[in-house]
Amino acid sequence: MSMSSQQVQDHMMTYLESTECQIIEKSPYHVTVKLSPQADKQLTNRPYYWGFVERTGAEPETLSFTFVFDPEQYDNNQMDDSIPQTKPQQDSILSRYFGTAPMVPRIGPGRIQREDVTYGSNRLQQIWNAARQEGSCLYLFEQPAALQRETLFSAAYEPWLGVCFKAEMSCDVKKEELHFVGISLVTGRIISPFPERLHGVTLSPRLPENIHIQPATVSLPQAAISLEAYMTRMLAEMDYGWAEQARERLSEELAVIDIYYEDLLKEEDEEKLAAIREQYASRRSETTWQYEPKVQLSAITCGLFHLRSSGR
Amino acid sequence: MNTSQPSANGQPQELPVPLHIDRSWLEQLNNRLEKGGPWGDWRLAQLAIQGEEARLVTSFDELQCLKHLQGLSPLPHQLDTAHKVLFEMSGRAILADEVGLGKTIEAGMILKEYMIRGLVSKVLILVPASLVLQWVRELNSKFGISAVAQKKAYTWHSDVVVASMDTAKRDPHKDFLLEQEYDMLIIDEAHKLKNKKTTNYQFIQKLRKKYCLLLTATPVQNDMSELFNLITLLKPGQLGRQGDFSTNFVVGKRQPKNQEQLKDELAKVMIRNRRGEGPVYFTKRNVSNISLQLSAEEQALYDGVTAFVKDQYKASEGNLSSMLSLVTLQREVCSSRDAVFLTLVNLSKKIPDESPLTAKVWELVNAIKAIKANTKAEKTIELIKQMNEKVIVFTEYRATQEYLLQYFQKHGLICVPYRGGMNRGKKDWMMDLFRGRAQVMIATEAGGEGINLQFCHHMINFDLPWNPMRVEQRIGRVHRLGQQKDVQIYNLSTSGTIEEHILHLLHEKINMFEMVIGGLDVILERFEKQESLEKSLYKLFLESDSNEEIRQKVSSLGQTLDQIKQQVDYESETMREEEA
Repeated sequence: MSMSSQQVQDHMMTYLESTECQIIEKSPYHVTVKLSPQADKQLTNRPYYWGFVERTGAEPETLSFTFVFDPEQYDNNQMDDSIPQTKPQQDSILSRYFGTAPMVPRIGPGRIQREDVTYGSNRLQQIWNAARQEGSCLYLFEQPAALQRETLFSAAYEPWLGVCFKAEMSCDVKKEELHFVGISLVTGRIISPFPERLHGVTLSPRLPENIHIQPATVSLPQAAISLEAYMTRMLAEMDYGWAEQARERLSEELAVIDIYYEDLLKEEDEEKLAAIREQYASRRSETTWQYEPKVQLSAITCGLFHLRSSGR
Repeated sequence: MNTSQPSANGQPQELPVPLHIDRSWLEQLNNRLEKGGPWGDWRLAQLAIQGEEARLVTSFDELQCLKHLQGLSPLPHQLDTAHKVLFEMSGRAILADEVGLGKTIEAGMILKEYMIRGLVSKVLILVPASLVLQWVRELNSKFGISAVAQKKAYTWHSDVVVASMDTAKRDPHKDFLLEQEYDMLIIDEAHKLKNKKTTNYQFIQKLRKKYCLLLTATPVQNDMSELFNLITLLKPGQLGRQGDFSTNFVVGKRQPKNQEQLKDELAKVMIRNRRGEGPVYFTKRNVSNISLQLSAEEQALYDGVTAFVKDQYKASEGNLSSMLSLVTLQREVCSSRDAVFLTLVNLSKKIPDESPLTAKVWELVNAIKAIKANTKAEKTIELIKQMNEKVIVFTEYRATQEYLLQYFQKHGLICVPYRGGMNRGKKDWMMDLFRGRAQVMIATEAGGEGINLQFCHHMINFDLPWNPMRVEQRIGRVHRLGQQKDVQIYNLSTSGTIEEHILHLLHEKINMFEMVIGGLDVILERFEKQESLEKSLYKLFLESDSNEEIRQKVSSLGQTLDQIKQQVDYESETMREEEA
């Protein structure tokens, strides 16, 4: 999957807005933004600066950026805008000797750094990773419709454990899948994909008025075990042709290595033989490391979702 | 929507492969429940999931890296290579493209793909010391891979480290590296690992690595067993046992047998793309040799210097080694009076004041004073004004470079210098200036770290290096992938001087300028078994008494080179046939 510049921009804006950055200027092709302290800490890699701010209590000065999502369009627009601007002055001494001198960049807090952000850029990866950090553990409530506040009866809320799993199937090559699953802590019912249950629901960390939460009958560890068992069953049903092929490759490779060392292992000099044995073993273990098929399951995000009982 | 009840038969089924479940999420969740937070932002959690979706690797065998690499448009053969290494060779391969086809790009793409797939995070890249920074820069700028150059012991802890082989194999680094596990090891100029007995070879053999790329333009230089050793490093047994290999595949030192079978086996571990094959298109090289007549004053100086050198050689009774540098004087006269002057001044400092030599040296210095104009520089200005485009002028001497800078500037040309001693920042700056307003770049150095001047297609060899590799390096700055136009090469030479002989050798005999010699390094290595080509030439000039004798000797030297070249061509032709 790749992403359009519009999608990249959407992701970026979600991050900037969620972290309460101050948007200074925005067009379909770019955004100029003064980072919030939270975003600055996550994006600018200035641990010493933030250590200094925290220890001395100094007023933090966050960095500003112009993130450009469509460099070509942005540059075209810039050119139209910049006509009335006077050309920056050349450094006359340098230009006398060297023809043309590059402009000395503005440094210091007032400087706004330009950065092109596209699908492959490290900045976008960094934002996703930061989002994963910030969104790793959730505790959320469904926000009721306005009517709920006025009714006499409090609404029953059902707690759910939701986990977005990432399954990685790897050997010498690799494939990945995402599975967002949820389990009710009241009934033990499992829903997959869980986002379908969340569709149309507004979630917030605020505890709404006039609701009560149904007591859990399934403990968190039990729920986790159920989800893992569910995932394991799902993974077990996959096609494992890839793993078979990888094992075939592995055994072929090992056979080649075995033949090569067969003669060498007849070495009579003890010292030399020890070295050859070691080499043989390490070559075999390297090959196993390279080809051995395996599946790894980890979580992108998890949390407790308190959802209005569907009244079953 | 699938729903399922927790069933009594909820016994997890067995997977046919090991399953590792990371349960840290549950621990973290419990932790926060105990402390009552802090809780994450739902929008960010969704963004994280969308991010994961956007970079999810949904297929085992589809190249992902291209989507991540804006501004890199690999050539078809580079794509093919990456694809093969990743999905057919399982990440262990020798990349043996001929010079200039972009092995680094191929290696970078393969590395990037593995990193995107999360199969590689710890990487060690070993390259000749002079290429360390270039690799770091290319990986960062072209591939967005945060590689660091090894400088201090702690840099080894970085994820992607570029280091020189010489550093890596030495203590204390060696022990540290041998304790590590590298997801990927890349070795540039891997033909240096042809000998099993060297410490380099044994060190690489011991390094623990999952994937491994060996880069070399010349997998076989002298001996088929070199190839065997290289492959053994990568995949021992691929060509059978050592004994099997010699009986099955080797006739002569350099001649393979059972070529079909060898070809099949090689194709499993080695990829060799060639120039002139497929869609890789190089523009033409047009060469003009411009023969100039020295002015009377310059000729007087040249004759004076030549006589001086001859006298000294005779006086030393054929002691060559101390005399070789004197030939440099002759070469310098052909370049500029400034160059000779500097050398003469240095020489006079070394000889005692009362020595009769001092007088001779000063006689030459006086001859220099008589020279008012530089024939070559005048011609160069004329050429530059005619072409009226960007041009790079190469000279061997700092003094000539300084002189030309001044001289050109006086004639209203905007020019910048470039030399080996400049630091990286300054080099980059000079490149930028040349790309921008300057019309002329005057360079003393061509090799080493990538000056890539595809935007310029004129070059003037103000004087010539005697080492053909350096000539090729010079040309390679402008004549490379990405050059859109035919490249114009002008060679200036002064008639009746040693320069004329050298040009004759390089141009007529080796045909250096018009074609790309793929195996030039191999040819030279074989020729230079006894002595470097440069040294042979120095000797030749010292020992010859007449111009005619020089001509003959240069001619026979050219023939020797030509024979080696034909041999190499023949060998590579048979290799090519096997591969075809």
